[in-house]
Amino acid sequence: MDKEHKGVDSLLLSDLIEVWETNSLTLRTIEHLTMFGIAIVLASIIGVFLGLFLYSRPKIAHPMLNLLNLVETIPDIPLLVLLLPIFGLGKEPTIVASVLYSLLPITRNTYTGLKEVDLKYVDIARAMGLSEKDILFKVRIPLSLPMIVGGLRIALVFTMGVVTLGGLIAAGGLGAALIAGIQLYKINTILVVGFWTGLLAVIFDGLAGMIEKRLQRRYGIW
Amino acid sequence: MPSKRLFDRIDSIQLRGVTKKYDDRFAINDVSIDIEGGELVIFIGPSGSGKTTTLRMINRLIEPDSGTILINDQNVMELEPVALRRNIGYVIQSIGLFPHMTIAENIGLVAKLEGWNEKKIKDRVKYLLDFVSLPSEMFMDRYPHQLSGGQQQRVGLARALLMDPPLLLMDEPFGALDPILRKQLQEEFYQIREKLGKTIIFVTHDIEEAFKLGDRIAIMDDAKLVQIGTAEELIFHPVNEMVASIVDSGKKFKHLDTLKIKDLISPLECMYVHDGSLDIESAISSMIEKNIEIAVVSNGSGPLGIVKLIDLLRMEDKDSKIADHVVEIPSFSRNELLSSSLKIMQKNGHSMAFVMTDEKLSGFLFPNDAFSQVIG
Repeated sequence: MDKEHKGVDSLLLSDLIEVWETNSLTLRTIEHLTMFGIAIVLASIIGVFLGLFLYSRPKIAHPMLNLLNLVETIPDIPLLVLLLPIFGLGKEPTIVASVLYSLLPITRNTYTGLKEVDLKYVDIARAMGLSEKDILFKVRIPLSLPMIVGGLRIALVFTMGVVTLGGLIAAGGLGAALIAGIQLYKINTILVVGFWTGLLAVIFDGLAGMIEKRLQRRYGIW
Repeated sequence: MPSKRLFDRIDSIQLRGVTKKYDDRFAINDVSIDIEGGELVIFIGPSGSGKTTTLRMINRLIEPDSGTILINDQNVMELEPVALRRNIGYVIQSIGLFPHMTIAENIGLVAKLEGWNEKKIKDRVKYLLDFVSLPSEMFMDRYPHQLSGGQQQRVGLARALLMDPPLLLMDEPFGALDPILRKQLQEEFYQIREKLGKTIIFVTHDIEEAFKLGDRIAIMDDAKLVQIGTAEELIFHPVNEMVASIVDSGKKFKHLDTLKIKDLISPLECMYVHDGSLDIESAISSMIEKNIEIAVVSNGSGPLGIVKLIDLLRMEDKDSKIADHVVEIPSFSRNELLSSSLKIMQKNGHSMAFVMTDEKLSGFLFPNDAFSQVIG
């Protein structure tokens, strides 16, 4: 019994190392996180600016958010396929698809956050002699931060999923290892890569969640 | 970018036929008032009578449809709004401290926008916090939600004083505080007002507050200015029934000789009572949690005296018992005559006293408050 138990342990560990090495998972992870990072940075920059822009043009806010909503409803594999004619195979369409999915939560949360800042803060800021620009940068944006980070958090989870799917269209990353495992029907590979990808998603979500909570606590929202 | 100092002192504020309409309802209707420099004018009236609208027109938060507002003969509509507002302090009931900034950042915000250097801002913030009786080293780096309501309102005042504006606009600044804390802050405000030497326009719905703090009182009703005058003028020569009924609460205590303490008692709520064996640390957290700034220290059989939150915060030895730091205050029976009790308190320089009913503590007596109620 004891011996058998030990056998399972060492089997697991050696399998893990073997799967990790034959699939060069260190390299795959780096590829994966690079795509993930680029997508998130791009989506954050575009999303926050788009949110700010919509806030300054309330008339087009609704149509624009509806459009982003529409993008959001396209299932991920068809979206990747739709992007192929434009961007070809590989990393680019994967990153573009991730950004497209992440735009809605970040833009929407930025826009809503700016719009729903408690008016008493805007009023007192104006009364103290802050210009409209100062009010935006010193009051509205900082007070929307918890909400913006909330949007970013949703985007992180989407992006982790899309980047993994990128394996289907030769984007590399952990998705490539997972697809290889599925095609060759290697249970160990599927389990290890699947678990590792899931763990990464949980870690990033947890980090973003911590930032969100910290902001909320600092602002006394909780 | 530094903005222009528009006025070093206020010589006069004049409203000339100022009117503001929302749809077809008048928010204020043809209001004309002359305010002298250094005056504290109180606007009072029912809600919706136009007192806050009038206040907010002076710093252009609301702009009139017709009529003019002149500060030192300059039309406010011709002044740049940001510069105008930086020359006018503004305090409101909801305080509106920014939750994402520390207390020091909240107070110093406009100075930073004006391009002051860090050291100058810090010195000014420290000075202002001490001025409103908050130990600066303890409060600078805290966030607003860590402060009690009374402390937040002090910070609100400090923030309004940052640029040393010659004019202060205050919109029910003590309105959200519980009655005893409100009286305490009114008392302090009354005392620092002399030091401030500013022109102040103050909105309230509390006639006692108006009598206590105001040089002149402007009574508004239904978007119009009904009467403006000193407390005596309003009490003795009210222009109509409405004015008479508003000032009535001050009038009913005409005969000081017959008044007893019980007529002017501020009732005690049990949250104020703290046991003398409590250590300072726990007393501080209890007071902050209850949003009170003074506590009655009791030893089980009766009150020993009071402790003030401000003093407790300054104590070095946070483990010692609050009973050792009690400030004794006089106590009177509720059936004693007010006049003799007030004389005793005045002689000894006490600003508050306990009122006892059958040997048990039942409330407080604030002499300044009492005086303001008997001026009729």
